[in-house]
Amino acid sequence: MKELFPKQHVMGFGFSLLLTVVALAVIKFDMSFNMAFAVLLVTALAQATVQLVLFMHIGESEDKKTLYTTILYSVFVGVVTIIGTLFAMIWGYN
Amino acid sequence: MKIDSSLPLEYSTEENRLKIFGFWVFLGAEIVLFATLFTVYFTLQTRTGSGPNGAEIFELTPVLWETFLLLTSSFTIGLGVHAMRIGNKKAMMAFFIITLLLGLGFLGIEIDEFVTYVEEGATIQTSAFLSALMTLLGTHGLHVTFGFFWGVAILIQVASRGLNPQTANKAFIFSLYWHFLDVVWIFIFSFVYLKGLIS
Repeated sequence: MKELFPKQHVMGFGFSLLLTVVALAVIKFDMSFNMAFAVLLVTALAQATVQLVLFMHIGESEDKKTLYTTILYSVFVGVVTIIGTLFAMIWGYN
Repeated sequence: MKIDSSLPLEYSTEENRLKIFGFWVFLGAEIVLFATLFTVYFTLQTRTGSGPNGAEIFELTPVLWETFLLLTSSFTIGLGVHAMRIGNKKAMMAFFIITLLLGLGFLGIEIDEFVTYVEEGATIQTSAFLSALMTLLGTHGLHVTFGFFWGVAILIQVASRGLNPQTANKAFIFSLYWHFLDVVWIFIFSFVYLKGLIS
């Protein structure tokens, strides 16, 4: 039975639950919006990293460099889309 | 077909390795798809018209349950892939079944949430904010729904054909998809629900 629950996965699961609880702090405690946003950004990115590295094993195959490049490039395109649009549509009017 | 037995079954042939690589490229495209939906949501977030805003309709308890179910299902499918690698077909199938049941639980809560919104008069046509919100949540929910049927199909194949390079490859690729949906949900949980509840 024990061999079915590798330490790495159990730790990853514990870590992702912990990150969820930390993210909840933005609701339970009174903090500035910027502070809350920073907490959410850090916990969400840490969650994504736990999934990619511990669960999806992104670094296990021989073409891991190409995989890292592909995923980072997609994230880059996504971030540019979000920030660029907000810049042109929302922040530009202030 | 050259089988490299030093690698796990799902990586054991050239074709399998290419399929896994190709699926990662597809996930890259999915990242961009969800980024565009988040873009629309962030842009239209304040355009609530005469309808409610996020803080008025979001409820923390069901959202926490959804998060817990999806995080756990991501964990159990990871265990399923691990069981597959040590050649334990029974345990692998059990973990995949648990994963799919957790996915169904998630969908049940999400459907209930949508029904509640509509009952409160917050439909997809009420405001730009709600259109963007429901398109984002709906696209994610649709992915989970599709994933459920995909997972069932893979379970049927593993049950009838056993674990071989083909079925292991399909099961592994499905696990990547399922983990990815969890990643998307984390961003929805943080930047739609939690952020909506505090602002």
